[in-house]
Amino acid sequence: MKKNAYLGIDIGSISTKGVIIDDRNQILASAYIWTEGDPIGAAKKLLHLLSEQFDKETYQIVSSGTTGSARKLVGAMINAGIVKNEITAHAIGTTTLHPDVRTILEIGGQDSKIILVEHGVAVDYAMNTLCAAGTGAFLSSQSKRLGVDVEEFGQIALRSSHPTQIAARCTVFAESDLVHKIQMGHSKEDIIAGLCQAVANNYLNNVGKGKKILSPVVFQGGVSKNAGVVDAFKKALGCDILVDENGHLMGAYGIAILAGRSSLRRPFDFSVEDMEFQTREINCGHCPNHCEIICVYRNGELIDAWGNRCEKGAPKLSPFYIS
Amino acid sequence: MEIPKKKVAFPIFGNYNLCIKYFVEQALGAEYILQPPMTKQTMEIGARYSPDSVCTPFKSSLGSMIDALEAGADTLIMTFGICRLGYYGELQGEILKSLGYEFDFINLSDYSTGKAKDYLKALHRINPKVPAARLARVSAESIRMLTCLDEIEGEYYKNCGFELQHGSYKKAWRRFLLSMETAENLHDIETAYRTAKREFASIPINKPSNPLRVGIVGEYFTAVDEFSNHNLEQKLTDMGVEVHRFMSVTNRNLRYHGKNLSAGIKEYCTYEMGPTSTANIWGAKYYASHGFDGMIHVKSAGCTPEIDIMPILQNINADYKIPVLYLTYDSQTSDTGLETRLEAFYDMIQMRKQEIV
Repeated sequence: MKKNAYLGIDIGSISTKGVIIDDRNQILASAYIWTEGDPIGAAKKLLHLLSEQFDKETYQIVSSGTTGSARKLVGAMINAGIVKNEITAHAIGTTTLHPDVRTILEIGGQDSKIILVEHGVAVDYAMNTLCAAGTGAFLSSQSKRLGVDVEEFGQIALRSSHPTQIAARCTVFAESDLVHKIQMGHSKEDIIAGLCQAVANNYLNNVGKGKKILSPVVFQGGVSKNAGVVDAFKKALGCDILVDENGHLMGAYGIAILAGRSSLRRPFDFSVEDMEFQTREINCGHCPNHCEIICVYRNGELIDAWGNRCEKGAPKLSPFYIS
Repeated sequence: MEIPKKKVAFPIFGNYNLCIKYFVEQALGAEYILQPPMTKQTMEIGARYSPDSVCTPFKSSLGSMIDALEAGADTLIMTFGICRLGYYGELQGEILKSLGYEFDFINLSDYSTGKAKDYLKALHRINPKVPAARLARVSAESIRMLTCLDEIEGEYYKNCGFELQHGSYKKAWRRFLLSMETAENLHDIETAYRTAKREFASIPINKPSNPLRVGIVGEYFTAVDEFSNHNLEQKLTDMGVEVHRFMSVTNRNLRYHGKNLSAGIKEYCTYEMGPTSTANIWGAKYYASHGFDGMIHVKSAGCTPEIDIMPILQNINADYKIPVLYLTYDSQTSDTGLETRLEAFYDMIQMRKQEIV
C-alpha cells in the first residue's frame, strides 16, 4: 500500500510554485519557476520538475489543490479537488509552520497583503487595492532601469549607509522621483536601498494602515528574498522579522495542507504533462454586457468555462465533467 | 388638442426606479421609460463621456441616462445630493446636450431649497395641472412601495443563502419585482407585498441557529446598486452568509433621525461628517456590538465622505475586534479580485467563528 501525498500549486502573476507533502506535512518535493505569462505552460513545467523529485513507488498523490491568480485555470487543468484563494492558503501554510505567529507580511509579484493571526487563526487581513505600487513587479521593473538583477538588490542595498529618499506613495511618482535622483548623482547602492525602503514604507502606509503589527512577524512572498526590504521592515517596525527559507512556497504549502484536510479524494498522476490544453475567449452575445467567457479545452474537448455573470452565459459542458 | 405625454426617465439606482415609475405614471400622468438594466456597455459609454477622476456613480448614472434616452425618454430627472452629487446633474446635463441629445432636463438640485413649493415647481414641469390631492396620495403610496421593496430585499438577503432548493428565493424575489413594476394602485402594492411575504415564508430553509452574519456599510449608491457592487450581497449569500445592509432609502431618508444616530456614536464622532457618514458609523457600531462576524465597507474610488469614515471604522474594528473588509469599486469589469477577497474574508470569519465556538 502506497502512502498518501498531497499536491499544492500556487500560480502567481510572476512565479509558479509547487510542493508535494506527506501526511505529516513534510515537504517531499518542491519547485519554483517563473510564470512568464503562460500559466498552463508553467504548470506543466512545474509538474515535470516535481515528478522528477517525487518517489512514485512509495507515495501516491490522493488529492491536489491550486491557489494564486491562475488557480481556476490550472485547477481545471489538473482536476484539483480544492481551488482556494491565496490569502487563506498563505495563512494556513504559515500558521502550520509557525503556530505562534501574530502577523504575516506578504509581498508578491502583483499584490501585497497583511494577515493578523490570533491563536493560530487569521482574524483580520488586508490586501492592496487597485494599485501595484510597492510590490515585486515595481522592484523588477526598476531593476531593469538600473541594469541590476533583481536578485542582487538585497545585497547591494545592505552596502548603503545613506539610503536615498524616494517617494513611495505611487509607482508613477516613485519612478519619476527615482530618475530625478539618479540624474542628480546619487550612487546606485543608495538608490537601491532607498527603493527597498520605499517598498516597506509604502506597504506599511497602505496595506498595513491601522493594523496593529504584533511580533512574532513572518515576512514572506517573493520580495522576502530581498534582504534590503527585510532590513527596512526591521528598522520601521523595531522588531525581529522572521523569513522562512520556504517562505516563497507558503501558498503552495498551505493549499497542499487544505487538499489533505478536505474529504474529496481525486488521485493525481502526472499524465497531464502530455495533454494539450487550450483556452479560448468568447464574448457572450446574450445581452449588451458581453461577458468575456473563458473556455478551457483538454485535447480539444471543453472541460470548464467561467466569466459569465448570469445563467444565460452558462457553458454547456458534457455531463461527464459536471462534478 | 391634447398635449402628448412626457416620457420621463431617471438613472438606475438599485430597484428604486420602480417607485419613481409608479409616482410618475400614477401621480403625474406621464409615461415612464424604464431603461434596460445596466451592463458593461452602460459603464463604458458613461466612462467615455465623464471626467476621469469623478466617482463611479457619475459614470454609471450618465451611462444609464444615455440608455434611457436611447430607449425613447424625452425628459430626464436627476437627483440632488449633499456631497459632490449635488453638482452632478448640472454637469451631466451639459455633457448630454453637447452630445446632441435633445431632452427636457429636470435637475432637482435647482429646486432643492428645502421648501415643498419649490419641489412642486419641478413636478409642474412634467405636468402643470396635477391636482395637489392626487400628488399627496400617490406620494404616500410610492413611499409605501419603497419601504416594501427595502423590507423584502432585506429579508431576501438574510435568508436566500440557506434555501434547500437553489433558486427558489430568487424566483419569488423576481416575481415580487415584476408585480411592483406593474402595480397601478395601493391595492396592487399591498397584494404584491403580502404575496412575497407569504412565498418567502413557505420556502424551506436550513439555517443554523447561529449563522455567519455580515453587515454592509458604505457609500450610498455603490452599497445599494447591485450592478455597481458586482452583486456583492448575492456573492456573500451564495457562500451561505446572512447579509445585512443598513444603507437604504428607508433607513437613510424616510426614517432617518441624524441627531439620535449621532447620540449613539458620540464616542466615535461628535459632528456631522457627510451625507451618509453618521448612518454608516451608526450601522458599523450596531453590527460590531451585535455580534456580527464581519463587516464590509463599500465605496467607489474617490468618494471623499467614505474615505473620511474609514479611520473610524478602524477604531470600531480595534474596539470590538470585528474584521472589516474594505472594497473600492471603479469602472473595472473583472470580478476576480473581488471574488478572491470575498472568499478569503469568508474563510477567515468562518475559521474564526469555529475557533470561538
